[in-house]
Amino acid sequence: MTAVNILSLHKTYPNQSAPVLTDFSLSINNGEMIALLGPSRSGKSTLLKLITGIERPDSGDIQFDGSSILNIDPNKRGAVLMFQKSYLFPFLNVAENISFGLKVQGVSSETIGAEVKRMLDLIGLPGIEKRKPGQLSGGEGQRVALARALVTNPKLLLLDEPLSSLDTSVRMNLQEAIRDIQRELGVTTMFVTHDLGEAMAMSYRMALLLNGEIVALDRPENLFHHPRSLAAAKFMGVSTFLNGNQVWGPKEAEVESYKKLYAIRPEHILVQKEASENSVEGVVSDCIFRGEYVEYQVAVDGTTVRAQMPMPATMFPHGERVYVNFPRQYLFEVSHR
Amino acid sequence: MKYLTTSSLRLILYLILIAPFLLFVAYAFSTRWFFPHPFPIEWTVFTFQRVLDDTRTISSMAQGLWIALLVSVLSLILGFPAARVLGLRRFRGRHLVWMLFFLPTIIPPLAIGMGLNILFLQIGLAGTIPGVVLAHIIPTLPYTIFTLSSAFARFDENYEFQALALGASPIQTFFKVTLRLMAPSLVVAILFAFLISWSQYLLTLLIGGGQIITLPILLFSAASGGNPSTIATLSLLFIAPPVLVIVATARSLNRHGNEIREQY
Amino acid sequence: MRDKFIFSPWLSLAPAMTIVLILLGASLFYAIAESLGIISVIGQNEITLSAFRDTLNFHSEFWISLGFSLWISIASTLISSAVALLLAVWLSEHRGNTDTLALNWNLAFPHLVWSVALLLFLSQSGLLARWAAMIGLISAPVDFPVLVRDRFGIGIILSYLGKEIPFLTLIILAVLRSQSVEYDVVAENLGASKWQRLRYVTIPQVLPALLAGALLVFGFIFSSYEVPALLGIGYPRALPVLALRSFLDADLRARSEGMVISLIITFIVMVVAVISLRLGERKE
Repeated sequence: MTAVNILSLHKTYPNQSAPVLTDFSLSINNGEMIALLGPSRSGKSTLLKLITGIERPDSGDIQFDGSSILNIDPNKRGAVLMFQKSYLFPFLNVAENISFGLKVQGVSSETIGAEVKRMLDLIGLPGIEKRKPGQLSGGEGQRVALARALVTNPKLLLLDEPLSSLDTSVRMNLQEAIRDIQRELGVTTMFVTHDLGEAMAMSYRMALLLNGEIVALDRPENLFHHPRSLAAAKFMGVSTFLNGNQVWGPKEAEVESYKKLYAIRPEHILVQKEASENSVEGVVSDCIFRGEYVEYQVAVDGTTVRAQMPMPATMFPHGERVYVNFPRQYLFEVSHR
Repeated sequence: MKYLTTSSLRLILYLILIAPFLLFVAYAFSTRWFFPHPFPIEWTVFTFQRVLDDTRTISSMAQGLWIALLVSVLSLILGFPAARVLGLRRFRGRHLVWMLFFLPTIIPPLAIGMGLNILFLQIGLAGTIPGVVLAHIIPTLPYTIFTLSSAFARFDENYEFQALALGASPIQTFFKVTLRLMAPSLVVAILFAFLISWSQYLLTLLIGGGQIITLPILLFSAASGGNPSTIATLSLLFIAPPVLVIVATARSLNRHGNEIREQY
Repeated sequence: MRDKFIFSPWLSLAPAMTIVLILLGASLFYAIAESLGIISVIGQNEITLSAFRDTLNFHSEFWISLGFSLWISIASTLISSAVALLLAVWLSEHRGNTDTLALNWNLAFPHLVWSVALLLFLSQSGLLARWAAMIGLISAPVDFPVLVRDRFGIGIILSYLGKEIPFLTLIILAVLRSQSVEYDVVAENLGASKWQRLRYVTIPQVLPALLAGALLVFGFIFSSYEVPALLGIGYPRALPVLALRSFLDADLRARSEGMVISLIITFIVMVVAVISLRLGERKE
């Protein structure tokens, strides 16, 4: 178990002008699972390459338990990566795949046999030692790949979109399995993904990565309900922002007014026929039935407001005049950055 | 330093690969280059000219070209429908058909040529161009079929249905859609069938029986005791078409190059 | 169009199959007939095993030639496989854009031409001998060692090496390049050193293809005529040379023996080919 410190990493690739990572810092606590959420090209894979040693940073440091790993060979670092594809060696069977990391360390064959069995029990697939990777389903393949990574007792487990190529149901199953296993072994873990729901499900804390910078880092529920910045809010699915004045002052004469930016989650916006406090008039441009909720797109003052209301909710025809209500208690302030 | 080692090793490799070509050029374009001299003394096109002026050279090249042309076109006509079915359809006996077309690539040309020699002698095809063409088709046809069927395996018939649905006749569809889509593989198939025939020695010898003289036959007899300049010149003429084809198709060769070697 | 093909695939297959069946069938038929002594040209129609007996006789040249052919085929195959493996691994680690083209360039040179080049280069008055003379190693052509048309088939083996090393290298390179480099990265990430990756990842990956390719090469060398005919000597002769010379002999009994040898070569090559195909299938 390891505490990981990433300190002020800079990385620019030789033939590119723009840096991929600028001043990237992140601390992961011992035994923590942290999710790194970012769109493609946000620098996620570069970060993984720097940690595993496939690439070297231009400057900055990566420390495991306080000592730098930059000068350790990639195969001795103990930062084990699992990919979107399982990359199980096709010429080895399941047991041989799992034991690969132990074999190259020269571990005795009795230990290897016991470890393989322990790992197969852990991933919930006992007895498949002799199968070939080609005979495994996508989910089974990823479970075996996870076992192969875990058996080496890694200091840091890196999961690079490990579930992205799986069907939804298999994916949910594996999310659960990975959470359980991580908690049981207490291995420090970084889960990289571009899927918001998955990042929230798979982390104690999550970091939002944009253009090589962390724009927010907090517990998922805090980030979801109260993102602090415009960028973070957009990440978390907020699309409605209101410019407003905060009026503050104990006495009428001392009233001060500040320009502020407010945001509201789409599921807190109400769309109704009648005007009420904090509402504006608009025209329904689309109304989509989504099953658990109805999604409204309402044209207000030349922009579109997106709202979601839980079922049962009224379906409005295209062109209907409605009022969009922003309940005061759900408005929260965000910074412009 | 490491870069230097890598580059020089690579340079040596390339030099070995290109050496035969340089050797032929040195011998073909020099004169009176006798034993102790390490490098050509006098460069000239005279030897090359003399070999080209020899009517046997020209006629062997013409005969070889003509045979190779017939062989590649015939292989294509025979192989195209078979390749289509093998690439696109699953039917009973498909595996057996595969094995049948595989046989000619396994059975040595020596055995095929010796057996055919007797048959063709009896039916009067020995020593004739049609006889040699038929014999050459044995190694080229499987190659054509395998190349085209692997292309057909990636072929999406919906393009054809789309064309038919848009009002094209089956014949128009065939020429404007099917052939268009297959064009790259067709070119590869026809070029390499041509090359296999062009460089065929043993089958030509056994079926041609000394009456059909192609360039490899001429080269072989020259190499068994001719003068080095003549040998080198004939070699250059012999490899000219393959070299042109290889360089021209360099990009698609990664996929097809390996299959052809066995036929040489 | 589809209807026609669904209706019968055999219609489309018929022309190609007919040609192959007739030509292969006829050549096989005549080969067997003639090996059994039925030579219709001279009206001999009696089945006899004498050709087999003469060929397989203990004192027959067949055994010498078989040994010689096995020697050149096995030596060429083993050396070219080993060199190709090293070369391919080296080339895949030091990528060059022109490597494939350079190796393919070699495919443009038929075996016959490559042998001719070797003849010009290695014969006693060849280029290498001249260079040796230049630096004073020898003074006359006879001083130069016999490297082509020699007793041990060195020229023949060298000629095959020149062709088969690039061929096998291309096969291995194709495997190394199609099997994504990620496997190497994964192995390194799991703690494997450079040599462990070569041993546990790279070699297992290319082994099936290399083995299949090597068997193919063996079959080809064992049955090919041009190279040993051009670069070999009168005794010992390679098996295909012996077969063809007997077949073209004025003595018609020798003709049958030529056929027998050719059938034996075919049999051996086909056994090897079946093994090679099996290996190829298992890979998939």
